[in-house]
Amino acid sequence: MTALTLLFDVLIPVLKIAAVILYPMVMVIVMIWMERRVVAFIQGRLGPNRVGFQGILQPIADATKLFFKEDIIPRQADKFLFNLSPVLVMASSLLAFSFIPLGQPFEIKGYTIELWIAQSPVGLLLVLGLSSIGVFGIIFGGWASNSKYPLMGALRSVVQILSYEIPLGMTALTVVFFSRSMDLVAIVNHQKDARVWFGFLLPVSFLVFWISGIAETNRAPFDLPEAESELVAGYHTEYSGMKFAFFYIAEYAHMVLVSSLVVILFFGGWLPPFPNSRALAFLSVVPGFVWYLIKIMFFLYLYIWIRGTLPRYRFDALIKLVWKWLVPLALLNFVIVALAWYLL
Amino acid sequence: MKSVQEIFQKVFLLDILQGLLVTLKHYFSRKVTVQYPEEVKEPTARFRGLLRLYRDGKGEPLCIACKACQRICPTNCFDIEGARPEGSKILRPTRYDWKLDRCSFCGLCVEVCPTDAIRFSREFRMSLVAKEHLLFHLPDMYVEGEDLQEFICGGCRP
Repeated sequence: MTALTLLFDVLIPVLKIAAVILYPMVMVIVMIWMERRVVAFIQGRLGPNRVGFQGILQPIADATKLFFKEDIIPRQADKFLFNLSPVLVMASSLLAFSFIPLGQPFEIKGYTIELWIAQSPVGLLLVLGLSSIGVFGIIFGGWASNSKYPLMGALRSVVQILSYEIPLGMTALTVVFFSRSMDLVAIVNHQKDARVWFGFLLPVSFLVFWISGIAETNRAPFDLPEAESELVAGYHTEYSGMKFAFFYIAEYAHMVLVSSLVVILFFGGWLPPFPNSRALAFLSVVPGFVWYLIKIMFFLYLYIWIRGTLPRYRFDALIKLVWKWLVPLALLNFVIVALAWYLL
Repeated sequence: MKSVQEIFQKVFLLDILQGLLVTLKHYFSRKVTVQYPEEVKEPTARFRGLLRLYRDGKGEPLCIACKACQRICPTNCFDIEGARPEGSKILRPTRYDWKLDRCSFCGLCVEVCPTDAIRFSREFRMSLVAKEHLLFHLPDMYVEGEDLQEFICGGCRP
């Protein structure tokens, strides 16, 4: 019995922590491969298909290369901040994953195993806050490089992320209105009780959240901080080897995080479509984690699809979009949802 | 009326959806990539590959060692010596050196050849491992097709 308690009290949490570190990494690997293949397919090419089955091991080959690259620190750089910023970026996006519920809790021999590390009554705030700490990593990295392009890229990135965080938070609040909780698990459970995903109730919120989410992660068409035709590579121009890989992985992990948030807030997390409806009860046979994975893959694919389709915004157009369109729209949406909540 | 349509388009992001559909169509389109070492794209009929000496239908060499190619060559690629074999009325090359590293593939030698002995082959895979391999001697000048590729590849030449 004590062995069993030991297993459930010590080993399971350790395994869960390992899984939560590994899970974004695996998603990043899949994502890097998928991005290169899908963009290639859209452009009529084949993309990497040599390393492993259909090139699935390509990101691992890339990472191996980056491991063996020389680690260069520019002489003029601020060494402490230069080394600190990839850690900050990486840690902030990995840490946020501990609050993401991956599936329904299940029971083994009287013990409930929850598929998340931490459940907090302010989980949503924590996740948004942690992803904002990454901004410090970006601005430190850009400034510490002591080079003009990284600094410009970092400034652009910070302006963009700070601006887009406003509609992001505002639309997340409309979901909180419905669920009456900032706990991510409670939000998912509430969608089960409500019999419908919030995305269908709040299409405007979802749209604004998704657009802001793309801008938050500095992805095309909002990838101005990394506009290689203007800024070489943005805030990580001076980085090489594993430090560069940290920025790269953190960016993709952030994409996975935003997709997870969209799925949890608007598309019912691990729930099958139309939970509680009798006719579709057979969908519950599929484990929750699989549903979650399917949904998240769809949004990750959408990221790439949008990248392969839309051209990059001009910087003034980007700022105009958020302050003149998304923020008023998010405010209006917020007021309407609040009114609807109190009147109905 | 037009403005209503414009507003409709803007509100429902129709342009963006249309764009996404276009890329989706391309996603399933036929890919144009040629997977090089496994698939080789056939060069066009008039492709200027390696210069080769050719034989006639009976297997007799066409070259009569007239040195017209040597004279016209702007980059002096050729070193040719000819001799009359015993009992024959026709001059044959005893030495026919062609330097690939000097050749500019201008095609003047092909144009000037009176017997159409020297022609462009369609062989374009010319990667070689040593500088000496860029010099082609007489018997090898008759090699063509797949044999030529095998002959060139991987420094297998003596």
